Amino acid sequence: MRQFKAILRKDIVMELRTKEMVTSMGIYAMLTLVIYQVALSQSGAAFDPRRIAAGLLWLAFVFTSMLGLNRSFVHEKDQGCLEALLLSPVDRPVIFLAKAIGNLLFLVIVEIIMIPFFSFLFLQQGSYQGEFWMIPLSLLGGSIGIAGVGTMLATMSVNTKGKDFVLAVLFIPLMYPLLLACVSATTAGVLGGDGHIQQFWTGMAAIGAYDAIMIAAAWALYEFILGA
Amino acid sequence: MPEVCDTALEVRDLTRTFGVRRALDRVSFDLPRGAFLSIFGPNGAGKTTMVKVLTTLTSPSSGSAKVCGLDVVQDAVELRERIGLISHNPLLYPDLSAEENLLFFAEMYGVDDSTDRVRELLVSVELDHRRLDLVRTFSRGMLQRLSIARALLHRPDVLFLDEPYSGLDPHAMDIFDSLIAQIREDHTFVMISHDLDKGLELCSHALILARGRVVLAAERAAVDSEQFKHTYRATVGLGVA
Repeated sequence: MRQFKAILRKDIVMELRTKEMVTSMGIYAMLTLVIYQVALSQSGAAFDPRRIAAGLLWLAFVFTSMLGLNRSFVHEKDQGCLEALLLSPVDRPVIFLAKAIGNLLFLVIVEIIMIPFFSFLFLQQGSYQGEFWMIPLSLLGGSIGIAGVGTMLATMSVNTKGKDFVLAVLFIPLMYPLLLACVSATTAGVLGGDGHIQQFWTGMAAIGAYDAIMIAAAWALYEFILGA
Repeated sequence: MPEVCDTALEVRDLTRTFGVRRALDRVSFDLPRGAFLSIFGPNGAGKTTMVKVLTTLTSPSSGSAKVCGLDVVQDAVELRERIGLISHNPLLYPDLSAEENLLFFAEMYGVDDSTDRVRELLVSVELDHRRLDLVRTFSRGMLQRLSIARALLHRPDVLFLDEPYSGLDPHAMDIFDSLIAQIREDHTFVMISHDLDKGLELCSHALILARGRVVLAAERAAVDSEQFKHTYRATVGLGVA
């Protein structure tokens, strides 16, 4: 617990000092949403952008999270810091847990910035009939999976030559089932309508199952991944 | 209180392969407690791989190695409490201050008196006046002094030095030497060096590696400097540059 807190506190202090991850992820996410809004601006009055808004939000969020996940380990590679961390008497899964929680925290901060912006761009037309609380809840569930799996994959890719490419190639296929569930749950919150409660909880159950299985797998494999 | 053992290193048939390449090939040697071992060899000889195995950063493919009686695979977590590494990389976070870096690693190692210990080490490496400055503002010599403080935080028994003089100017090398001299009595040292004169000046034991194999392992007192240099130059021709 002492080592977990030390790693997490170190990551937070460094992020507060540099503001590198949150700033770059936040600006990137906002710009992506603006581009989507511009792309849909000529679609005509008959087209309701809310029908695809949840998908757009998750697209923006997945691309944004890849940017942040890569950066979280670039800091550790700087001047051999990861080596110094691995030299200390710490169980490797503790490093995984601390880094994943740190990444989750930064992702959630970016989401808090993104949600009002997203609402302004995509939920303003007509009368809003969805249930807003479903949106942040589905984002949180999805973010836990993204942080867990993303931390594991960022560790694997940090020592590779084209780490950005490697992370994307591994991350998006592994995220596919999670994304399907997240888009479904968030769409229920955006659109509302008949059966949206069931749709939401079915999506959340799938998100929960994915998070549990993938984080348990990452926890179990982390020592092997770091030693490889 | 950690157990004290007479043999600092026991290496038996240690082999490490990367694909088809053997970075270490059946390396065997012993090193008594309190000794200073200098490891020489051309690029690609397996020196850094050996230090990585002995510091638990990578696993051996076969054979065994014990540091302070602890197996590098079976007792890795316990072993990490007994060793320190000073590398040509500072192994410090550039966006933390000197004090924050040392306090972070003190927590990772569970150092009891962390605040006092950090202050004591910062004074001993003459960086107390810069303790609140970010490490990214430090010169190469200052980084290396802070690296020594980081490596000594948890009072290790064995210190591994991986080309510690790399990039240091003569003044910084003198300061580094005096710091090592201060702690020489209480520790066992394993140093990788390309500088034959420097390595031979400091060591009590010397080892030459080439193509992952031990070419020569001897006590310093038993070898003639010129003969040693001649053997080393001959092995460079065997090395995988």
